[in-house]
Amino acid sequence: MTIVLQASAVTKRFGGLTAVKSVDLEVNEGEVVGLIGPNGAGKTTFFNCLTGLETPTAGEVTYRGTPLPRRPDLVTKAGVARTFQNIRLFPNMTALENVLVGRHTRTRAGVLAAVGRGPRYHREERESEDRSRELLDFVGLGKVRNELAKALPYGDQRKLEIARALATDPGLLLLDEPTAGMNPNETAATVKLVRAIQERSIAIVLIEHDMRFVFGLCDRVAVLVQGEKLMEGPPSAVQADERVVAAYLGTPTEEDTA
Amino acid sequence: MDLFLQQLVNGLVLGATYGLIALGYTMVYGIVQLINFAHGEIFMLGGFGALTTYLALPSGTPAGVALPLMLLGGMAVSVTVAVIMERFAYRPLRGAPRLAPLITALGVSIALQELIRNFYPRAKSARNFPQLVNPDRRFSLGGDVSISAPNLLTIVVAVIGMVALSTFVRRSRTGRAMQATAQDPDTARLMGIDTDRIIVTAFVLGAALAAVAGLAQGLRFGQVDFRMGFITGIKAFTAAVLGGIGNISGAVLGGFTLGLVEVMATQYAPEPFAGGAWKDAWAFVVLIVVLVFRPTGLLGERVAARA
Repeated sequence: MTIVLQASAVTKRFGGLTAVKSVDLEVNEGEVVGLIGPNGAGKTTFFNCLTGLETPTAGEVTYRGTPLPRRPDLVTKAGVARTFQNIRLFPNMTALENVLVGRHTRTRAGVLAAVGRGPRYHREERESEDRSRELLDFVGLGKVRNELAKALPYGDQRKLEIARALATDPGLLLLDEPTAGMNPNETAATVKLVRAIQERSIAIVLIEHDMRFVFGLCDRVAVLVQGEKLMEGPPSAVQADERVVAAYLGTPTEEDTA
Repeated sequence: MDLFLQQLVNGLVLGATYGLIALGYTMVYGIVQLINFAHGEIFMLGGFGALTTYLALPSGTPAGVALPLMLLGGMAVSVTVAVIMERFAYRPLRGAPRLAPLITALGVSIALQELIRNFYPRAKSARNFPQLVNPDRRFSLGGDVSISAPNLLTIVVAVIGMVALSTFVRRSRTGRAMQATAQDPDTARLMGIDTDRIIVTAFVLGAALAAVAGLAQGLRFGQVDFRMGFITGIKAFTAAVLGGIGNISGAVLGGFTLGLVEVMATQYAPEPFAGGAWKDAWAFVVLIVVLVFRPTGLLGERVAARA
């Protein structure tokens, strides 16, 4: 199996605080990996280190064998896309325009081509639009493509963020709490969506607090606690592990046991 | 009535110039939240670039050939200086407190004025600009209302420039990237947009439009002056604020509104505020009124806190 992402000993310190401490993570092609852990465990910081939003203090990240650049736009170009915990769409653009922005790295026409408006420019624009429409249909937003992003209901905004990330043609998609704030129906739809993305042989790493979602969907789960990887394994093993339970619920004290 | 209509025409011509320059202020502000006070000088340099191009042409070049070349020459100078300015004066200050680039902009503005004054031949006072478009040639608009050839040209090129820019920003790939960068630069980067390049693009487009205004100004007044960017720049900035800074249609609307206010107030204001002596004051009256009653401008939205 091909390794898509390999993070080795990734460490991020903010002054005296070590937010991520020597974390290793491997993701294989087409795999869905869950990243769980209590609040403040460093999950999002780890994502930021992968996508170039933060520069790791130490450690290395490679994508398909090549070190990932330290600039977000180049990471995206290399093939790693992400969504955010707090949705970050372009609020004053339509759904379609948001997805078209995602096509940016996969198109080339610059200022001069736009001024000249030659045949290549038109072909490229048309292809981008077709692809963007296809992605909106794929996530189920085909009907609202001309609505402004800020006018969409919450669940649709999350779907739109995923469509926009897919528009960059990623080989690896990082989802930061894809079901946060969703009702059970929306969560069920997200499960289907993630599976459908997996079928397009895109590897996925997701941060999530909804344990049923994580254990039902992921091939492998890694647990992060206070910046360190506590354990990693198939969902059944992680679910059964006492240390994981302790990390979430706290260790019983003598008083409790008494 | 004819007088009013004539002043309406004059106001629109003036407003077209303000609008063209205001677009540069508003685009740069929309993307990097910098008020580039040196943008007025970019406009001035467009005029000087056009003049230099004219002087380099063999005498007797027909106006139909000379004008496009002068426009290109003016744009080349404006764009080059804007790119250098962005790279060496503003980019190192990205992320610094906002006062730092603002003061830098004022410094760049003075430096550019002084460079022209001291090093451009005979530019210590206004330099004559070739009157390639005969100002005595007037087109009747009905009744006694008419528009002179240079003024007509100004309106026509300004409107072409504005429409081209707005189409570009709304419809093209790079334009979308500009909008994305303005709305959320971090996310734009994560979508694979090289935001540094987008910022340069904003400076380049603004400078090109300012150069159009610079050439038009030279043709209308028959001279260019190293000081001409200062007051016009501040008025164009007022126009951008009036329309809602960061908003492209707003800059155009603000430009025309301000041009009309200035012309009409000069014509109709009662004593002791009547006449040309108060001409430059009206822009600032407008600026104060806008800042007090509608700080977001005519078309501006409330600026949401950035995450």
